Amino acid sequence: MTVHKGRGIAAIEYPTGMNQNGDPSQAWIKVKPDGRIDVFAGTSDIGNGSKTIQSQIVAETIGVPYEWITYDNSNTDSSPVCTGTFASRATFVAGMAVKKAAERVRERILDIAGKELEIDPADLDIVDGEVIAKGSPQTKISVPDVAAAATWGHGELITGAGAQLKPYAAIVEPETGKVDLPPHSAISYASCAAEVEVDDETGEVRVTRLVQCFDVGRAINPTLVEGQIEGGAIQGLGLGVLETSYPYYPGMEHRGGQFGSYLAPGMEDLPVMDTVLIENPSVDGPYGAKGIGEMANNPQPPAIATAVHDAVGVWVTELPITPERVLRALQRKAAGEGEPTRKGKLIVYDEELSLAAVAHPDAPVRLVVDA
Amino acid sequence: MNLNVNGRTHEIESPPLTTLLDVLREELGVHSPKVGCEQGGCGACTVLVDGAPRRSCLLPVAALDGAEITTVEGLGAAEHLEPVQAAFVHHYAAQCGFCTSGLLMAATAYIANGGTDDREAIAEALGGHVCRCTGYVKIVDAVAAAARGDEFDLSVTAAGLFTTTMSGGAA
Amino acid sequence: MKAVGARVPRYDGVAHVTGRTVFVEDVEIPGVAWVKALRSPHHHATITKLDTRPAEQMKGVRAVVTAADVPLNVYGHLSALGIPGDEPLLADAEVRYLGQPIAVVAADDEQTAQAAVDAIEIEFEERPALFDVRKAFDPDAPQIHQWGNWYPHFEAGMDRRQIRKGDIDAAFAQADVIVQGVYRPAAIEQLPLETQVCQVVPEANGRLTIYSCTQALYFSMGVVAAHLQQPLNKFKFVGGTVGGGFGGKVDTATETLCSLLALKSGRPTKWRWTREEEFLCSSTRAPWHMEMADAVTKDGWILGRRMITLHDSGAYARFSPYGVTKHAFHHTGAYTIPNLHFDGWCVFTNRTPTSAMRGFGVTSVSFATETHLSRIAEELGIDPFELRLKNANRIGDTSPNGVVYTDPSTVPTILAIADHLGHELPADYRTMTSEPRSDGLLPEHLVAQVGNPEDH
Repeated sequence: MTVHKGRGIAAIEYPTGMNQNGDPSQAWIKVKPDGRIDVFAGTSDIGNGSKTIQSQIVAETIGVPYEWITYDNSNTDSSPVCTGTFASRATFVAGMAVKKAAERVRERILDIAGKELEIDPADLDIVDGEVIAKGSPQTKISVPDVAAAATWGHGELITGAGAQLKPYAAIVEPETGKVDLPPHSAISYASCAAEVEVDDETGEVRVTRLVQCFDVGRAINPTLVEGQIEGGAIQGLGLGVLETSYPYYPGMEHRGGQFGSYLAPGMEDLPVMDTVLIENPSVDGPYGAKGIGEMANNPQPPAIATAVHDAVGVWVTELPITPERVLRALQRKAAGEGEPTRKGKLIVYDEELSLAAVAHPDAPVRLVVDA
Repeated sequence: MNLNVNGRTHEIESPPLTTLLDVLREELGVHSPKVGCEQGGCGACTVLVDGAPRRSCLLPVAALDGAEITTVEGLGAAEHLEPVQAAFVHHYAAQCGFCTSGLLMAATAYIANGGTDDREAIAEALGGHVCRCTGYVKIVDAVAAAARGDEFDLSVTAAGLFTTTMSGGAA
Repeated sequence: MKAVGARVPRYDGVAHVTGRTVFVEDVEIPGVAWVKALRSPHHHATITKLDTRPAEQMKGVRAVVTAADVPLNVYGHLSALGIPGDEPLLADAEVRYLGQPIAVVAADDEQTAQAAVDAIEIEFEERPALFDVRKAFDPDAPQIHQWGNWYPHFEAGMDRRQIRKGDIDAAFAQADVIVQGVYRPAAIEQLPLETQVCQVVPEANGRLTIYSCTQALYFSMGVVAAHLQQPLNKFKFVGGTVGGGFGGKVDTATETLCSLLALKSGRPTKWRWTREEEFLCSSTRAPWHMEMADAVTKDGWILGRRMITLHDSGAYARFSPYGVTKHAFHHTGAYTIPNLHFDGWCVFTNRTPTSAMRGFGVTSVSFATETHLSRIAEELGIDPFELRLKNANRIGDTSPNGVVYTDPSTVPTILAIADHLGHELPADYRTMTSEPRSDGLLPEHLVAQVGNPEDH
């Protein structure tokens, strides 16, 4: 028995927001008489932290402390449309909706503060809960005092609504796939290196280290971004070496109905993980943010497959890379099989898995390659 | 039969083969233990039975007459968090929060039994708990920090142990 | 204090660690009736008899709902985008996957609900099933879907998603080497710790309050409203706090049926899927079959790519056409490949319908593209970092469907990994940026694209 070490890399990209866009998110905000801020949005928090992120965006945009924000996404009577928490859209698309609503609120606060201070609102700024005159910071009024003046003096409810919608990008040439508009809100990028140990007797692949770099645009909350990346990495590890609903796909047998018969990654599978964040801001996202939640499980499987090849010299291109698949590949290699077919400049791997090998000879679909 | 839950004794009316999980949630209104699988496979329902972590979905309540049960409700309330709870907040060890109660109880037992901040020992002790969100990194960070007796500033979350941030990018 | 960029604690962090976060099932509703489903025991069968009367007559049973009770039984996940629906809320006449719901029961407790499900009289005539997407096009393949064995409703009535770019034949003719491979990532479970769950309360004013674990409150409300043929103000969705989703909780798996049972019985209803149902009956990530051939030069330029993709949609379309389109748009990965020929099909099989999961549509092609590039690097004897940096997309390059990249970071993320690992690179690679290519970095095959990106 020998344990072989290997390393592989992968680089990926992933769109933010629904493919082809057309997915609105909306929000509205009201200010209480003491200046505290109530945000209403319809974005489900599935653990990704959108309650936190959107509260941070509102606090930053208005210029008040994070602790002043209450965030209500609890029901559709009080919250406006949000298409949902998927497609890596909760920070960018729904975040833009709360940002635009907060910009309206900020304008109203500045306007009323201008009346109170008898200063042109354009000459005012809001910093840490206080409206201050630019260049003359001793001239100021607190946001709570502005809210009180609005409520009891001006008879106004300070409120603001915002909506984010990039219009639907239609496929105008179905034959080529050409679209009339960009079909995403942004694109994020990531690279990953995986290091593995492969036991050539048991076939077991152990992922020992993942080094990952993500362009997140802007980390609205670095801790939450790390959480997305780390959580995604373990799901990517699961995709690579552990998980399958149909262990003998396309066969239907051995489908597991409980945790004991489905290999979800556990704490003992945790590799060493190094994460590098790059902030290459998006053109029009909230504070430059891009969405990275989903892509976080995309680069590990190919990096792991490449690392396995680096370790033991076999390509396993059906996932997950189970001990059985590794051992079968090693057996074929030992028998001198499993090499790609070479015809002139054409090199064909995995012929036995292909449509051409499995389908009826008269079936119309094939990958046709003219060498 | 009687059950002591978080320091209060309750007379239990559910049939004897009712699981402890159902008694806690349905009869006593103790909601922190979660129904994740009812198969003993995920750990979301873990509570302490006389100090030991147990899957409450597998325990018929009749076997627990007189036992002392501790759930997350028996740890610290919001203003008086136990160190392990504070560690979970500071290290951002909970994302969706559904597995968190079970992990907190397992971590409480681990630390009470003298567990250290050794990451492998933590993974072994808490290994049967499934968390689909976090990738476990920050859970291990939190349990290790609590085991060390770290102090926690809850106005911020901890910087990732292994993260580097670089600005700029494209150009 | 700046809020953006700060490591502020989670808004709900303390609630999570004190057990105070309220998930759907933590809402106590007095008198709530339990829901259970009668599900198909077959992969593919005709229903020859369905009699729910034995269940309806049982003590403690409050309502039984079948397809006949649903105002609009067939409504597609993508119907709001004008794409026709194919999947019945409850099976009517035919079942196409193991676990497909046929009838639902609401009863006073879980045991009674299950006993009532077991009492329903049902008979089937089994039919041939199809499981291998590669056999879906065979002349003798079992026909398993009313639309045929693959989705026929892409734009202009096309039966596949196509991408065509540049001159693919010229690219393959010019290539020094063509590398071809097959990539097959698996179906997996979304596996949130909280299973599919909802509770529905019929209110005195005729509205329904729906406690839902959906990832998409308004989307799910639209689905329920469509099935029930009611305006949106009939419903109040309560949720937004979800015990994990990962894509599976966009499906709106329980809300409509609980609403129908609540309306029919006049009682609040609750349906929490068992873990076994979650594993065996909920959507999975799709299995994909991808075949890829890249035309490359000796020095590592990728001139062109031919690719076919068969997406295993399972028994119904759900979000699969969307996933295949997204897949097509991103099938070159993080690279600029100027000549493309892509065909992707949504193929139906008799397995649980597949649906969205983290990375939907792209996780598959990231695996295929990146493993394929590693193979190309190996075949050419080129450093895998250098091969990727060379072909990395740059500012001004265009995507498979002709969209200009404005802020790519492929180059800096690869360089950061190389740096972190101490992997040595030649100077011209080490100093590479995402700026448009020029001089020696602008190979002949990209000149036209850079000069006139709209044409590519």
